[in-house]
Amino acid sequence: MNIPKTIGLPRMRNETGEKRVFLPEFVQYIASLGVNVFIEEGYGARSGYSFEDYKLASPIIHMASKEKAYQQDVVLILRSPKPDELKLMKPGGILFSMLHFHTRPLRVKRLLDAKIKAVSMDSIVNDVNIRLMENMRSVAWNGLEAAFDVLEKRWPGLVRPDKKPIQVLILGTGMVGKYAIDAAAKLGNIERNNDHIEAGGPGAIAISVGRNLSTNPTTMESLFNQADIMVDATQRRDSSKPVVPNEWIAWLPEHAVVVDLAVDPYTLDAEPPVVRGVEGIPQGNLDQYIFAADDSNWDKTIPPSVNSKNRRTSVTCYSWPGVHPEACMLHYAQQLEPFIEILFKKGYDGLSLEGDYFDRALYRATLKYFLDEQKLLV
Amino acid sequence: MTDQITIGLARMHYEFGERRDFLPNFVAMLGKLNAKVVLEYGYGSGMKFTEEDYLNHDQKITFVSHEEVYKQDYVLVLRCPSEDDLRLLKPGACIISMMHYPTRPNRVALLRSLEVESISLDSIKDDVGRRLVENLRMVAWNGLEVGFRVLLRTYPSPGVESPQRNPIQVTVLGVGAVGMHAVQAASHYGDMSLWNSMAKRGVPGIQVTALEYDLTRNEDYMKEILTKTDILVDSTQRPNASQAVIPNEWIAYMPEHAVLVDLSVDPYDCSVENREVKGIEGIPQGNLDQFVFAPDDPAFERIPECVSTVHRRYSVSCYSWPGIHPKECMDLYGKQIGPLIRTLLNKGAPGKINPKGKFFERALSRALLSNYEATNLT
Repeated sequence: MNIPKTIGLPRMRNETGEKRVFLPEFVQYIASLGVNVFIEEGYGARSGYSFEDYKLASPIIHMASKEKAYQQDVVLILRSPKPDELKLMKPGGILFSMLHFHTRPLRVKRLLDAKIKAVSMDSIVNDVNIRLMENMRSVAWNGLEAAFDVLEKRWPGLVRPDKKPIQVLILGTGMVGKYAIDAAAKLGNIERNNDHIEAGGPGAIAISVGRNLSTNPTTMESLFNQADIMVDATQRRDSSKPVVPNEWIAWLPEHAVVVDLAVDPYTLDAEPPVVRGVEGIPQGNLDQYIFAADDSNWDKTIPPSVNSKNRRTSVTCYSWPGVHPEACMLHYAQQLEPFIEILFKKGYDGLSLEGDYFDRALYRATLKYFLDEQKLLV
Repeated sequence: MTDQITIGLARMHYEFGERRDFLPNFVAMLGKLNAKVVLEYGYGSGMKFTEEDYLNHDQKITFVSHEEVYKQDYVLVLRCPSEDDLRLLKPGACIISMMHYPTRPNRVALLRSLEVESISLDSIKDDVGRRLVENLRMVAWNGLEVGFRVLLRTYPSPGVESPQRNPIQVTVLGVGAVGMHAVQAASHYGDMSLWNSMAKRGVPGIQVTALEYDLTRNEDYMKEILTKTDILVDSTQRPNASQAVIPNEWIAYMPEHAVLVDLSVDPYDCSVENREVKGIEGIPQGNLDQFVFAPDDPAFERIPECVSTVHRRYSVSCYSWPGIHPKECMDLYGKQIGPLIRTLLNKGAPGKINPKGKFFERALSRALLSNYEATNLT
């Protein structure tokens, strides 16, 4: 059994708005396990952290080049590295990241070709199939916060001209949809909600509809007509068809805000093709996640063949939790701690379903477990 | 404590309908941790388990009297025992149960006077404050399942199962932890198989409106909502339970066929100093013996006189909603409690639990009565 002894933390090379890095306290925690830590030069700089903030005089925390960070026994990085970065890893190296095996077949192939032992953070589940590393609450709350921010500019204090509560229509009743209801009813921000209550504001109501209503145009037209905010929190069975065809957008009031929490991409060349849940809205990221209807960037991420004629202000972000980077990484670090410990105690090959709680959960997130499961499905 | 730790599993002598006990595989797990396990006579019989069923999993289990169970080092029982039963505990013993410290000051004082330690299952939380032993999902799903079963009988022509009917309107008051599950459950009839069957037949779905209880200050708006509500769900967590969210006279606005679902299970108390009223005023408090109340049910007459019951609809209320499906409930609790008990028994005694130890130690530490006292004394 190979027990890893070193870990590399390379920078994420995504949009400039992506500021998330593991925090110094977490790196200190890893070092406290006796693991040599190699941090890529410049790590955390966008968030104001220097290497000294990470090192704190520890003799086993080192600054490293990008290549050296990727050459360690374990590579820890939140969003998946790009294909050319994967090539920097050594065969047998362990990649610990959000890898989304189920929806990224090309990535799985690359990992196998490079002989990388991968552990996908999004696949860590306990014995009753609850994800142990997730931040869906932030997906919903950050998305709704952005939407209410937009609406508040039009209606100071979030008071409609007719003084009625703001209506939020939420499509999808899964985990993200559940949090969206909570966030919608609290104006996307607890502090704002408390102020609003104190001021005697009318509040907001959340109307939630599942799949068996969202496919009914008559009902949806009546709901869209009244919605101030419309949220896509669906998990579609067939991602080749939108939940909200572009014509339906015309039913929304002009002031309405569309919130995209599903963040599926447009991938028209895939088989079957993938389209966004709400047809004709752009794909945002941490650099820009608010798009007015006349935004000059609207068309940049939308293939020409997609109907985007009807438009309302849309908030959309590939990485909603990254809107509040420190809170997000503090949350992930708390969730990650026991898994880092077990990984360095047992190594990738030592993980098993016969082990303890965290051992079992981490084993379910390995590439080998994913591949075994796929074989069973065939 | 003795060399071999002894653990007693007591039956819950509440209403006749309380059938829950820990399942044989969970009890066997305790034996494998080198604990001497004793069960109360009749343990599991509510779910049709015999002594043999338990012994087949672990031959060393013994069956003893109710009193004898309470003489063990640890006593595990889901719902908190009566005061009389607590008095059976020996000094230095540890009771593991849903103790609800913050709302049961008399219970805390009694345990302290008995020199007994306790671990409150409802206080076991992880580093980000999430309860590790909870079944809020079943609270919502079981309550809504029963609510829809009643609506199937009360709903006017063409009936709930007709493709010609309008979408069912469910209003959920309170969008906290239970409320979020309630929205999800409501949009699936509280029963996935019923939802599947309805969806296959093209029956219109369910529109769920969720609102925070603060919104209920606006009577005109509430009247508008209540007049079209088929199922009204109370899942509020009110800081001040002396005022109802829905005063009894508002129930008159609702259709005759409407069903009221009580998930909050707050009690009634007419005393001046501790006045408490249910979120929906005038519905009975149910339990596992009776959780469905027709408007002419005698239970309405037993509601304290300070509470108005003039306006009535079919009501569903149960102090222990998860107990409706006892095996599923105890299977989940067993899985949640398993790693915690393992940690506890491995440590040898509650006093050896390190508040800065590993994940489950930290979680257990937050639930110790001794730590609760310490926290509340400072």
